[in-house]
Amino acid sequence: MSLLECRDLHVWFDQTHGGQVHAVNGASFGLDAGQRFGLVGESGCGKTTTILALMGLLPPTASVAGEVRINGTDILCGGEESVRPFRWRDIAMVFQGAMNAFNPMKTVAWQIAEPMVYHGVADRAEARSRASELLELVGIPAAAGKRYPHEFSGGMRQRAAIAMALACEPKILLADEPTTALDVMVQAQVLELLTRLSDELGLALILVTHDLPVVAQTCERAAVMYGGEIVEDGPVADLYHAASHPYTRLLFAATPDLYGEERITTIPGGPPRLDSVIAGCPFRPRCDVPMERCDGEHPTLSITGPDHRAACHRNELQGAK
Amino acid sequence: MSTPHAAPSAAESLLEVEGLAARYPVRRGLTQVLARQTRRWVHAVDGVSLSLARGEMVALVGESGCGKTTTVQTISGMVTPSSGSIQLDGAEIVGLSERRLRPLRRRMQMIYQDPYESLDPRFRVSQTLVEPMLIHGIGGSRSDRARLAAEALERAGLAPAGAFLDRYPHELSGGQRQRVAIAAALVLGPDLLLADEPVSMLDVSVRAGVLALLDALRRDPGMGILMITHDLSTAAHFADRIAVMYLGRIVEQGPAQTVVRAPRHPYTRALLSVVPDRDPRKAGTPQILTGEAPDPANVPSGCRFRTRCPVAEAQCTTADPHLRFPSDATDPAHEVACHLA
Repeated sequence: MSLLECRDLHVWFDQTHGGQVHAVNGASFGLDAGQRFGLVGESGCGKTTTILALMGLLPPTASVAGEVRINGTDILCGGEESVRPFRWRDIAMVFQGAMNAFNPMKTVAWQIAEPMVYHGVADRAEARSRASELLELVGIPAAAGKRYPHEFSGGMRQRAAIAMALACEPKILLADEPTTALDVMVQAQVLELLTRLSDELGLALILVTHDLPVVAQTCERAAVMYGGEIVEDGPVADLYHAASHPYTRLLFAATPDLYGEERITTIPGGPPRLDSVIAGCPFRPRCDVPMERCDGEHPTLSITGPDHRAACHRNELQGAK
Repeated sequence: MSTPHAAPSAAESLLEVEGLAARYPVRRGLTQVLARQTRRWVHAVDGVSLSLARGEMVALVGESGCGKTTTVQTISGMVTPSSGSIQLDGAEIVGLSERRLRPLRRRMQMIYQDPYESLDPRFRVSQTLVEPMLIHGIGGSRSDRARLAAEALERAGLAPAGAFLDRYPHELSGGQRQRVAIAAALVLGPDLLLADEPVSMLDVSVRAGVLALLDALRRDPGMGILMITHDLSTAAHFADRIAVMYLGRIVEQGPAQTVVRAPRHPYTRALLSVVPDRDPRKAGTPQILTGEAPDPANVPSGCRFRTRCPVAEAQCTTADPHLRFPSDATDPAHEVACHLA
């Protein structure tokens, strides 16, 4: 039994003019304590929707199906009632742009202490001392907690946002693009912090990002999403060295490398529309090695190696050989 | 370009910036004004020299707040420099009147980071492209301008132009929008493109295409491109030369491959060490500098990097190092501002 188990997760959004968008289509993954898992893909592929579903924080226009289990307990089946006891206490999230979402009128320490009081895990005094501990944990001197958010640099605010998510001692931390707006040096500081937290506190980490090198260097395993589906998952080294899905291979080829000699390439075309059922492979129009089968038959995830799966008809072809 | 001073000589260089400085006043409160506290300045750009030849792409890299954007805004005439010189094709542009600056502005065009913000959502693509021509009086007639707009669009990779001219920005993808922004710069026939993080808002899969477009543009009519980027990998791939800025100064510059493979300034070394590699098996040892760059209103004495430098010595607190060609450099075009390099 994994700490976090997400099975066949689906999310649909109602559109204002009728119809639905199938934003997440059958995502499954699991995660244990101390593991770091990357969720990668381009904008609109369903990464953020997936983790918002894990938190039970999707807007009312969304419908969700599937199972999300924490230590075996399904937290989605009973709607808000079943998620609430777990949210923040077992599973917490650092939102995209959280560093810019602090209340400018309150001190940083106050804002970190507030959720603890709200969730009843500590009284005011305890919460205050715990906020100081959390700040120290993320590398900010406790005394700085008396300051206001505008007195913090971007990197410090991001650390404070992480401290805030850790307030109720969660076991799982979901981080949505935690380094996207940061400089490389500050990015390195924040990634080092997240790695240390998962190593030392046994925190299970899901890192959502479009930045493949960040995932390659931070996570052990990753899933690549395309058009709302996980199209490949496995150990990051296998995704890079032995990609089993053309999209993964092309994404890496589009990512410049400091010392790389080869030309970086573009993936022509754009992501698929998710408001109607896609008959064949969703990546078919952009694929560089399509086959006839790919037009009519939707590939499903199949095993391509140890702990490695991909949704591409070509793998079945190789398996048959 | 075989002279030891690899920077192209003034005659052949398109852009020649010398000792450029730009500063902003720090706001004082009423009590501070009444107490006659002296005005403090943020020295956003503090003595930047760089040159750019036709057909060349130079990348300006560094952390946020290091003065990259102010440097480019000063060159484009949006910010008035407090000292220094900027020459375009050998003609000084600092101190020109607005009237005499305008024809020069046509020759220097900006490309901004976010094509979701830089295009007017109520303008069709054709209007976005025609407006700059009207401002600068280019194209004799409506049909001339329409033809120039279509040409620019196709040069920017949106062909056939007819399929895009009547669209609104919201009908375009991020990559297409950035191409429209580039086309809007191209209609004026610029000699110099100033691109501020031109791909950082775009999806990975389309970045390469936009960068390849810039790469092609500078080769074709001999345009020069000064590109701001925080992404060293992009700079290494596409730029001919890289200039690394720290706290308002260029601390190292040289041919891109030399700077990336044989960095000499401790700041450049640290920056390169923290760039994550896309290959999970190639894990370097990141040399993480603590904290962030100091307040540019309060620049450290001596070498401005010394407060974060892992190898700083006593002399670094007193003497301010200037950009120089190290005597033992293997690449004669490689300049570093460090006492120990």
